[in-house]
Amino acid sequence: MELNINGKSYTIADGPARPLLWVLRDELGLTGTKFGCGAGYCGSCTVHVEGEAKRSCITPVTEAAGKTIRTIEGLAEAGADGSLTLHPVQQAFLEMQVPQCSWCMSGQMMTAAALLESTPSPSDEQIVAAMSQNYCRCGCYVRIKAAVAQAARQMARAEEGAA
Amino acid sequence: MSEKRKWRMTRRGFLIGVGATGTTLALGVAFGLPYGRIRLADMFENSAGAPASMDAPPNAWFEISADNQVKLFIPKVEMGQGVHTALAQLAAEELEIDWAQLSVVQATTALGPFDSRGTSASNSVSSLWVPLREAAATMREMLRTEAAKLLNLPAAQLQLESGVFSNDNARLTYGEVVSRVSSWTVPEAKPPLKDPSTFRYIGQPVPRVDLPDKIVGKAIYGYDMRLPGMLYGAVARPPTLGATLRRVAAGEAASKPGVVTVVAEPDFAGVVAESRQAAYQGVFAMSLEWNETQRWQQADIERLITVGEGTGVTIQRLGDAPDQLRIIGTLRAEYRTPMAAHAHLEAQAALADVQPDGVKIWASTQFPDMVRGEVATLLKRDKATIEVIPTYLGGGFGRKSGVEPALEAARLSAAAGKPVHVGWSRTEDFLHGYLRPPTHHVLRGNVNADGRMWAFEHQQASGHVAAEFLPGFLMAIFGADFGAWRGAMIPYAATHLQTVAWRNELPLRTGWWRGLGLLANVFALESFVDELAHAAKADPLQFRLNNLPDDEKGQRLRTVLTRAAELASWNTAVPAGRARGIACCVDAGTAVAHVAEVGVEGGNIRVHKVTAVVEPGLVVNPDGATAQTQGNIVMGLSSTLLEKITVKDGQIEQGNFNQYPLLTLAETPDIHVELISRGSQPFGMGEPPMGPIAAAVANAVFALTGQRLRELPLRLTT
Repeated sequence: MELNINGKSYTIADGPARPLLWVLRDELGLTGTKFGCGAGYCGSCTVHVEGEAKRSCITPVTEAAGKTIRTIEGLAEAGADGSLTLHPVQQAFLEMQVPQCSWCMSGQMMTAAALLESTPSPSDEQIVAAMSQNYCRCGCYVRIKAAVAQAARQMARAEEGAA
Repeated sequence: MSEKRKWRMTRRGFLIGVGATGTTLALGVAFGLPYGRIRLADMFENSAGAPASMDAPPNAWFEISADNQVKLFIPKVEMGQGVHTALAQLAAEELEIDWAQLSVVQATTALGPFDSRGTSASNSVSSLWVPLREAAATMREMLRTEAAKLLNLPAAQLQLESGVFSNDNARLTYGEVVSRVSSWTVPEAKPPLKDPSTFRYIGQPVPRVDLPDKIVGKAIYGYDMRLPGMLYGAVARPPTLGATLRRVAAGEAASKPGVVTVVAEPDFAGVVAESRQAAYQGVFAMSLEWNETQRWQQADIERLITVGEGTGVTIQRLGDAPDQLRIIGTLRAEYRTPMAAHAHLEAQAALADVQPDGVKIWASTQFPDMVRGEVATLLKRDKATIEVIPTYLGGGFGRKSGVEPALEAARLSAAAGKPVHVGWSRTEDFLHGYLRPPTHHVLRGNVNADGRMWAFEHQQASGHVAAEFLPGFLMAIFGADFGAWRGAMIPYAATHLQTVAWRNELPLRTGWWRGLGLLANVFALESFVDELAHAAKADPLQFRLNNLPDDEKGQRLRTVLTRAAELASWNTAVPAGRARGIACCVDAGTAVAHVAEVGVEGGNIRVHKVTAVVEPGLVVNPDGATAQTQGNIVMGLSSTLLEKITVKDGQIEQGNFNQYPLLTLAETPDIHVELISRGSQPFGMGEPPMGPIAAAVANAVFALTGQRLRELPLRLTT
């Protein structure tokens, strides 16, 4: 089975039916995507499949095969020299010192990035609605909300600059 | 780094190591319980230098290399509380180096300072405040002395900046001094510590050192640990509370695909396999029989945890409260809080590699030394051959002892001869861990005609907190469970005071949960103080200010209460349909006051705004302290509004987040935090702001609706 993850092609064993999450983590060593609940409730395992936020713990790997998968490891842009340019969401989460333990944060940032992809200028209500799908036990919600709003502004400015 | 070092113990208890080629200097100091010193003594007795197997400095805090970089080995674990950053601030301050010159390395049980205490109780920064700065200052002064010798100048003529000694025409870096000096002397006198007015890092919102790796998914937690050739383990769990294995046999497990090793022992059933899925399927295929006990029900739990049941110990007494509580007009109220899960989002995890010549354990653990001791006992190995390497923790909150997955992984790795990772499922974590204990509180109090508290009694019952982890003889000495009574003592100046702590055995495990007894006790106490205020027809803020003692603690509480009330516009009208409540506490040395502004939406309590004022002594990192306050409020609100673990027919009823929802961003109020930095000693920040939140909300609900809610989670009766 072929998986296209972060622009790279991976071949995995056909094997038994299994969730994408554990293929990423245990078979491919991409441990940036986190396991939280295994049942789609908490959002820690969120990745993008064809640009959409998906909970990898309840996504069968066969469903993701042949599609474009993006994980936290591929959210920043890697330059030819290996340097990373952070995604505006990562930049905002870092600037606003959002994470505490950070176990949920890959999922939070992937959820936020997908939101801003589909809704470039979200209202406060849209941010709250999208980000309330993900748990953060350390309680970083106040900063998550502020950082997603800042990333949206940053992306809008970059868009204006490009136009 | 494999060069051999020469080690020397100094009269001031420092350990100095110099690289054989003279290019690195390492300096350490033993701290914590005597065991650390015993281990040091062993090392010196048994060899002239470090044990041959040790290729890096044991017990060293710092290592300075020729390129003028400093490694700081931190024994406290990073679980999101920012401790690596805060301790790095302390070290960099006294070392007089630039931030970029410092890198933080997580200490292990074999590398870096020894720490028998673990990371808990909001005391990492406060307990290391003096020892770490003194060690750094000692290193700095040793370097200064040698630099002066090398430059042939009086030490007093050398300026120091960014790890570089200089005067008008000479310049020498720490790194250069280290590569040119091979024999070091620790000064007899303690070095001077910097004057707080010259602090560069302490008191600044220094960004977290762990975030760059976390933001790109590179940070490694216990659940993420991988080794070549590793396998996965799963373990059989009891079907009901208290069940024990009666008969264990491999059954069909060995024939299941991917299964490598089946471990069937009288008290343990587990499987090692090529994948987690295969390991669990292997366990299901084992043939197991269990001895089950009584099918416990929620009512049994609540009956056991009731004031008057079990053992009661008086922990606070002034005058004769029981006698003075017979006065007519005495108020009496009962409060209850439920069991709660920690719900750290990284479930329990550890990787063990048990080999004939040594054992390595990577674990998400707050207590690496405890893990090492338990693994040594289980495997019947010498502690010195076991290294426990704490990883980043995906939430701790008191539940990351790390012991169970480490023991399971060690047992399975010993059987398989390969590294084995055990990572619990969410359901295993909910059903088979330990919980915040349930509590019951009976409060009685009366107020004299001047509005002064006259007699006040708090009787509190709880399941085990510290008792779960301490040897029996220690509990016999303490009498009561000090973990359970955190926050239970009455901080007000009543003429007659009494606090009694009752504890009882439960059929399930309870233990540390962020703040231990704090949230429950302050909920009961500060709600009841509100009841007394209303009965006395006094403003709840003014009533508190009038009744706090005139000592330092009382004054600190007055300060945070007054400031929180001012910021929350306590004396001005609340928007229609809302009301405010106030509550306070002192915990881990830190004074906290919260004002909550609440409304009711669709029959549910809606917390709109929380104003928090926190005075933790000296603030080391204002952004970190603010983040801890925000996080404590959110976690505390989740308990206040939502969380409850219950037992039915011998099982915990909540197995995942659909049955145990947590607070989300949608229910999170606006949170306004103000910190007050005071004095020259930092106190705890990891838990204290949790204390008053439930009471602040409950008091606001009473002000709004007239309903006095005395049980968590708060539920309006409609």
